[in-house]
Amino acid sequence: MSRDTIMSGVKASTPIMASYIALGIACGIVLYDAGFTVGQIMMMSLLVYAGAAQFLAASLVVMGASVPSVILMVFFLNLRHVLMSASISSFVKDKSLLYLGLFGHTLSDESFGINYSRFQNNQWHPNEALVTSLSNYSTWIVSTIIGGVIGSQFPINTLIMNYALIAMFLCMMVMQFVSKAHIVAAIASVGFTVILTVILQHNIALVIATVLASCIGYIVENRTDRIKGGNSHA
Amino acid sequence: MLEHQVVLIAGMAVVTFIPRFFPLLLLSKKEISPSLSRWMSFIPVSIFAALVASDVFFWEESFNLNPVMNIKLLPSVLVILLAIKTRSLLWSMILGVSAITLMWLIV
Repeated sequence: MSRDTIMSGVKASTPIMASYIALGIACGIVLYDAGFTVGQIMMMSLLVYAGAAQFLAASLVVMGASVPSVILMVFFLNLRHVLMSASISSFVKDKSLLYLGLFGHTLSDESFGINYSRFQNNQWHPNEALVTSLSNYSTWIVSTIIGGVIGSQFPINTLIMNYALIAMFLCMMVMQFVSKAHIVAAIASVGFTVILTVILQHNIALVIATVLASCIGYIVENRTDRIKGGNSHA
Repeated sequence: MLEHQVVLIAGMAVVTFIPRFFPLLLLSKKEISPSLSRWMSFIPVSIFAALVASDVFFWEESFNLNPVMNIKLLPSVLVILLAIKTRSLLWSMILGVSAITLMWLIV
């Protein structure tokens, strides 16, 4: 890999690195707050490397959710990567298994966003893409470790720290409002979650609510398409 | 406790790697059925809404819609409005933390 490749890959990742520093530190703090050690936080960022999933894990562990239900929720959350991974696959088809392993492992939402748009504009080489992904990856790992260390040094108000997570999930939810059906799914999910939590008194309520609400969103969008008739091919 | 966390991290690593790696190796976008891909597009929004709902509407373990007692309600309205306007995770978090701190100091 040439020096130029590395430079342009790192340069492409700088805006993402800036946001990963801030969010990574926050993530490290909440994970420490949820009972993970700094070493475990490092392992999680190294082996899992999924911001939203790591925040989700912190939140569910604080709620007292079981290990299988956290893993199930992380799995559902990460299903979105199937589409990203499949979309970008055509640009890296001829690469080695090692390349694909590394590129797949470091395929975050943000890395996908940058690399995919550059690949589409025909101005991107797979090696530059990998450098961008790896810069984002290493920034995230270091930032979450720093967050863990900060969390271990200062006593933090649990109510306020947990609310930082909620504020983040609220924003992630709003960012998914790409159609009316997605807003309907969010409202349905809120309704199901509240009702099922009151009835079941168990975190499995979140898993059931998620699956049901996704089905409702799907049905609403299909119906909207049918009403529009032949006008829509989207 | 420690063992639990190691199992949790390992499990999370597996369920994160699979959907990122295998489509890269085996699929292209055309090979995923449009119905499945449409259904999957609703999962993240439903998860975030469920996570928020299971926290925001409850105060001391019970359902509570009184904004004076349940001090998470008003800041959440503010965060949603800001998020719609800016779509910035960082600003949403900063506003959320400031608003809840203010509520906590007042109530």
